[in-house]
Amino acid sequence: MSDKKILGRDARRYTLATERAYGADTHSYLPELCDQLKTKKIDRRDFLRQAALLGMTTTTAYAMANVLTGETPIKEAMAATPKAGGALKVSMRVQEMTDPASFDWVEKSNVARFLVEHLTRTRADNVTVPYLAKSWEASDDLKTWVFHLKEGVKWSNGDDFTSADVAHTVNRWLDPATGSSNLGLFGAMVEEGADGKKRGIANAVEVVDSHTIKFNLKQAALAMPENFYNYPTAIVHKGFGGDYEADLSKNPIGTGPCELADFSIGERAILKKRAGDYHDGAFHLDEIQYFDHGEDTNAWIAALASQQVDMVYRVPNDAIETVKRLPFVDIHEATTAQTAVMRFRVTEKPFDDPRVRQAIAACMDHQEILDKAFKGLGQVAENHHVCPIHPDYAALPPLKRDIAKAKKLLADAGYPDGITVEIANGDTEGSWMTDACAIFKSQAEAAGITININKMPANQYWEVWDKAPWGYTAWTHRPLGTMVLGLAYRKGVPWNEAAYDNPKFDAALDDAEGTLDVNERKKKMAVCEKLIQDDAIIPQPFWRSVFKATNKKVKGFKTHPTLYHQFQDVWLDS
Amino acid sequence: MLQLILRRIGMMILIMLVVALLLFMINEGDPRLIARSVLGPYAQADQLQLWIEQNGYDRSMFIRYFEWLGRVMTGDLGHSIIYKRPVADIFWDRLGNTGILAGVTFVIMVIVALVLGVLAGMKEGSPQDRAISVLSIATTSVPEYASAVILAGIFVFWLGWLPGTSSMTSGFNIVELILPVMVLTLYGFGYIARMTRASMAEVMTTPYIRTAVLKGLPYRHIIMKHALRNALIAPFTVIMLQINWLLSGVVVTEFAFGYKGFGALLLEAALRRDIFVIEACGIAAVFVAVFTQTIGDLGYTYLNPRIRFK
Repeated sequence: MSDKKILGRDARRYTLATERAYGADTHSYLPELCDQLKTKKIDRRDFLRQAALLGMTTTTAYAMANVLTGETPIKEAMAATPKAGGALKVSMRVQEMTDPASFDWVEKSNVARFLVEHLTRTRADNVTVPYLAKSWEASDDLKTWVFHLKEGVKWSNGDDFTSADVAHTVNRWLDPATGSSNLGLFGAMVEEGADGKKRGIANAVEVVDSHTIKFNLKQAALAMPENFYNYPTAIVHKGFGGDYEADLSKNPIGTGPCELADFSIGERAILKKRAGDYHDGAFHLDEIQYFDHGEDTNAWIAALASQQVDMVYRVPNDAIETVKRLPFVDIHEATTAQTAVMRFRVTEKPFDDPRVRQAIAACMDHQEILDKAFKGLGQVAENHHVCPIHPDYAALPPLKRDIAKAKKLLADAGYPDGITVEIANGDTEGSWMTDACAIFKSQAEAAGITININKMPANQYWEVWDKAPWGYTAWTHRPLGTMVLGLAYRKGVPWNEAAYDNPKFDAALDDAEGTLDVNERKKKMAVCEKLIQDDAIIPQPFWRSVFKATNKKVKGFKTHPTLYHQFQDVWLDS
Repeated sequence: MLQLILRRIGMMILIMLVVALLLFMINEGDPRLIARSVLGPYAQADQLQLWIEQNGYDRSMFIRYFEWLGRVMTGDLGHSIIYKRPVADIFWDRLGNTGILAGVTFVIMVIVALVLGVLAGMKEGSPQDRAISVLSIATTSVPEYASAVILAGIFVFWLGWLPGTSSMTSGFNIVELILPVMVLTLYGFGYIARMTRASMAEVMTTPYIRTAVLKGLPYRHIIMKHALRNALIAPFTVIMLQINWLLSGVVVTEFAFGYKGFGALLLEAALRRDIFVIEACGIAAVFVAVFTQTIGDLGYTYLNPRIRFK
């Protein structure tokens, strides 16, 4: 069914110009989606996001939303004409940049993002738009996805970008030898082998022609376009890891707007604009220069204050007031699903007993931790890792601190006189993590629970994050609740740090992932959320806002909630 | 004297060998830990075992020690786990950077400390002495991480005169050295100044100085010709010890200003268990410590003829 047919019910209200934007066949669920928006069962944001996922162009989706709601959003103020040229200097850790498929820090992907690119791009407003793919279609049952790739895109070595590159990249993710976290993300293309390892299902990736590729899933999955923008999902050249070593810093072959001019771990990464036209529109910057000022966040802010850099990767919350006083700096806040979870490893004693986990979780006063450890700059979480800003979030009854319940659970578990436990923490996202642990420690004392905080350097924590019996792990923002749950809590996936193994949860998540109706999906997510909450695997104090700071000469920048660097619209005003 | 020099050098080599053995035992005693560091936290047990066998870590530790020693002596310091390149490529650069920072600091610190120490010790108990003594104690009492924040607050955030980091991103820039040098000088000069002051005050009370005064020699002449040389013998060893501190004690300052030096390298390596970098840095730090101490001892003997070692 075409968009034109869908629009038939409101045909009089469309202009000819808008209609010209349509034409491609789109998903059969779109009429239902339109009805839901019109009858206010879903909001505008849900509509835009879902319509884009189902393959509708964003222009069409916005126009349709305007017509169906009768509202015209206030236009952004007319921006100044971008100026081309200049070098954007950024203070950020420069880490090793070997294999994009196994990236485990967003910082690595920020350098790589201007070399190797993704099929799709999720914008700061959570709407996913075409990138290396020009469009996509999903079958009615959401089990077959066809991506049409842009033509004329060249790799920096002169090769044409084709479906073979995409197939090679995705097949690498699905090979357990690669060790990619994408095995968890693309669960609908993965099965458990005889050796107990997860691997891609047969015929998961099918090359249709040079610029068309099909993904055949074992179960429905709506978030495929969004998943293709997760930071370890950059598309690499078909020779990567085959014809040449799988090391992007040594073999920086990409489709992106830049080439790698200089790269030195712990020091700098210099990216220079490639000659020729860029496939994704104008790219204004001549250079992007990343400088590593070490782990001391004070040094980052000092570099910004003395205008040695134009941007810092993030502003720690204890430096926000200082940065606000710098007259030449803009501070950008993004409400995000960035968080940290106090994750129990359910296979380790004493946390293998759910009553112990539930007792500890029952001691948490989320609001107090948010207010004291993060100055209230965020919102309280509910121990299930799905955020109110996720489109698939379902509200559960609020959690309340219950010391009496905690004591009873502990006594039932065989600890009537209390228990001493240890939490590992590496302050991987800042010193507020230690503060949060310390506040929770004092909250738990009332139930006879003594929490010892094992403070360690950030890098040391990342060596034990999925091994420590109890650890405080930071998780970055992802646009969907299902995406986070699939990455972190599905049985056997690489990032399942809790070693959580609950077939009911896995089935409920599969069900939610394959549900098109936004409201039905939320109901199914409620089941997933409740299972995680009841199993008490992650006491989760709060969701935090993130802050970035830029010199006022940096124009067109929007903070992405994941802290991904998207500089397509960025330019420097001399 | 020659015998003394040879004996000192021999002792230095022995100490280096023992420290190198200790370093090696701590870092490479357990092959599984090395394999884990190299292959990362996700490596499986069979991958670890394969790496151990392929790289000869299943052999006796002493054989490996002497092999490693031979490689180090020929300049092969191993391959960095974090930086993904030979340790020697990073190590000498970083050592050079710290050499620049330490050299500039050393010159300024020693001049400031000696001048102030002599001025204070010339007239013990005078307001000049009191002021210099209070200043020396106060600055030495403030740890580097605190003075780094205070000085950055004044010169970067308030006055806006100086760059906030010293990472030399656009090539070497002397202006970027000012803040770290200030921090190190403030912290380090007080100790030398206090030692110089005490030594100077002691010399000023000696009979030969009193005789010189009573002879009617000009005061400036007494200080420069008679007092100063003897007063500098005691601070000499302290000054030599500062070289050692300037190499391995600059970690905090380098960290605070993002300076890419030896201290920052050592810290980063320690935090991420980059064992080959830790070993190289450890050997260098011990060498500088032992070497400067040896030079200090020899210099002390030369300057003070009353001291004779047998």
